[in-house]
Amino acid sequence: MERNTFILLGIAIAICIGVLAVFLASGDPDGLESTALVVQGDKTLTGATPENAEIKEDLTGKFSYEAPFPDYTMGDALGKPGELIVMVIGVILAFVAVFGASKLVTQARKKEA
Amino acid sequence: MHIPDAFIPLSQGAVYWIVALIFIALSLRWAKKEMSEEKIPLVAVLAAGIFAIQAFNLPVAMGTSGHLVGGALAAIILGSPFAAVFILTLVLVIQGILFGDGGITTMGANIVNMGVIGGFVGYYTFHGLTIATKNQNASLFIAAWLACVVSALACAIEMYLAGTFPLVPGLVAMGLYHAAIGVIEGGITVFAVNLIATARPDIIVLPRAVSA
Repeated sequence: MERNTFILLGIAIAICIGVLAVFLASGDPDGLESTALVVQGDKTLTGATPENAEIKEDLTGKFSYEAPFPDYTMGDALGKPGELIVMVIGVILAFVAVFGASKLVTQARKKEA
Repeated sequence: MHIPDAFIPLSQGAVYWIVALIFIALSLRWAKKEMSEEKIPLVAVLAAGIFAIQAFNLPVAMGTSGHLVGGALAAIILGSPFAAVFILTLVLVIQGILFGDGGITTMGANIVNMGVIGGFVGYYTFHGLTIATKNQNASLFIAAWLACVVSALACAIEMYLAGTFPLVPGLVAMGLYHAAIGVIEGGITVFAVNLIATARPDIIVLPRAVSA
């Protein structure tokens, strides 16, 4: 497969996965969150996660940071369209960041040669 | 498996950051030495794919969901565990800073778990199994599954050291949930490696015994 076709197809597949994630991703907690709920007594090991279960986070003496797009959203007001925009931004940003970093590294090697 | 800031004290987060920075430096040295112009699109497309698929949580029973981590996938496709560190570091930085998926002070721990442990366990398990069994798909599946489980167990130990989880219940729950999530990791890794090997066999690095 030709280079540009491979790039375009790859990004298209990644965006499709991201779009599907917005609509189809499970709302259940992930493995780390589930474990946190189990050890704090709000979930049994193999049982379903209660709807009101919430992870207790103790931020005393710890760093706290508010991300601009928390949980891959643009806030409640924009809903699903906001999530779609955020997902596309994320996919393109991941591609550009790694492409750019790789280019910088290979250019540094050429300069040294 | 993205550890938030609240789960690890600052001092321990700093230790994981130091370990992560050592591996990031080694991954940059790998990239400087091994990254060819032809490979750059593959590396970047892999990063975009891993970002997207990490946002896609699939149900795995027991009230839990999981997604591909991608460390094993990146390391196996690009022929080095340092490739996983290189890609996962940038993906985790974007996820942490822009989307709050994983903390800032815990980003070092996340890089160590998903990039370093995921990449090294996945890469060397795949190569060992391939030599032993000559079965590419089985080796891919087991390597990716094991990478997911070992990363999760390492995370459980970090949570114990941080005072967030008790040791045994943490290990049992993290191990059990990620044994199930690892099936997703294994399945997607087998599919993705075969897909890329078909599309661009010229840039994928697989052991000689199983190369097309």
